[in-house]
Amino acid sequence: MTTQDNTSNQQPGKYKVTVMRDKCIGCASCTAIAADTFKLDDEGISTVISQEGDDATKLLAAQSCPTGAIAATDAKTGDPVWPLSE
Amino acid sequence: MTPPQTYTARLEEKVQLNDKFTQYSFELIEPHRLKFKAGQYVSIKVSTQGERRAYSICSTPDNDHQFDLLIDASPDGLGVQFLQSLEFGTEIEVLAPMGHFTVPTDLTADHLVFIATGSGVAPFRSMIEDQLRNYQDQRQITLHWGMRQATDLFWLEEWQELDENFANFHFHPVLSQAPAAWTLCRGRVTDCLSVHPRPTQAAYFLCGGKNMVQDVTKLLISLGISAELILTEKFY
Repeated sequence: MTTQDNTSNQQPGKYKVTVMRDKCIGCASCTAIAADTFKLDDEGISTVISQEGDDATKLLAAQSCPTGAIAATDAKTGDPVWPLSE
Repeated sequence: MTPPQTYTARLEEKVQLNDKFTQYSFELIEPHRLKFKAGQYVSIKVSTQGERRAYSICSTPDNDHQFDLLIDASPDGLGVQFLQSLEFGTEIEVLAPMGHFTVPTDLTADHLVFIATGSGVAPFRSMIEDQLRNYQDQRQITLHWGMRQATDLFWLEEWQELDENFANFHFHPVLSQAPAAWTLCRGRVTDCLSVHPRPTQAAYFLCGGKNMVQDVTKLLISLGISAELILTEKFY
């Protein structure tokens, strides 16, 4: 599974989000919810532009992705936060 | 587009349309009005762990104090189970409005062709009614709706009413398992499209199963339709 993380060197929030490109359908729900964190690239696929955004908003964007294409992990420990483990 | 925000809504009504499909009506509590465009969807929180499911709004934007959803119970997933368990008056958390699958105001087409299978017809109920009633759109508007069996169809009185009151609206249900007495289109929506005259300056809106969307898109492209005039709801 390919992921995209075009983050800058800015201080990340508590959660780090990544987009699984092969799952993304470009519906732009994440960009609507967290415009400071996600944008659609030239191929119409969501990409992460910053990890600086509000953590609750980033998590909500991940939870709202209709195809589950966004994962959130604890930025310090790397533990998965979203999606929920089985 | 209005950016999405979190709403609290209360289950007001459930209408069992047939064995598979149910229409749910939710009254907005806080905020109490939702400004959306026909074709947009809501994201409902369906578990305490934060899991969410997306559903197209099938009511029209002029009714901004509530929204209606069409639910296909046959997948029996987490979202369906959550909605079926709701008692009247139960409050839910909704993120809305979501999505870009709307009729663009600057669309140059003189014919709007809506093609759906199954519950993919949900956003079209909102979009078609909105265009006809609220925008008084005089362009030709055609709905091709594919289902398996006649008993799967619903909203027939509503489509019939639009057909009678708006001369520019045309309704073409198509059944893949049609009874012998069925006099309308048979087969798949692609068969239905080939039976009816193809408009020249049309925009196509597709919503439904992934295979249908792929097949119809391929067909339209092969017929020389510009990809820019083929709009699809991507989350289905």
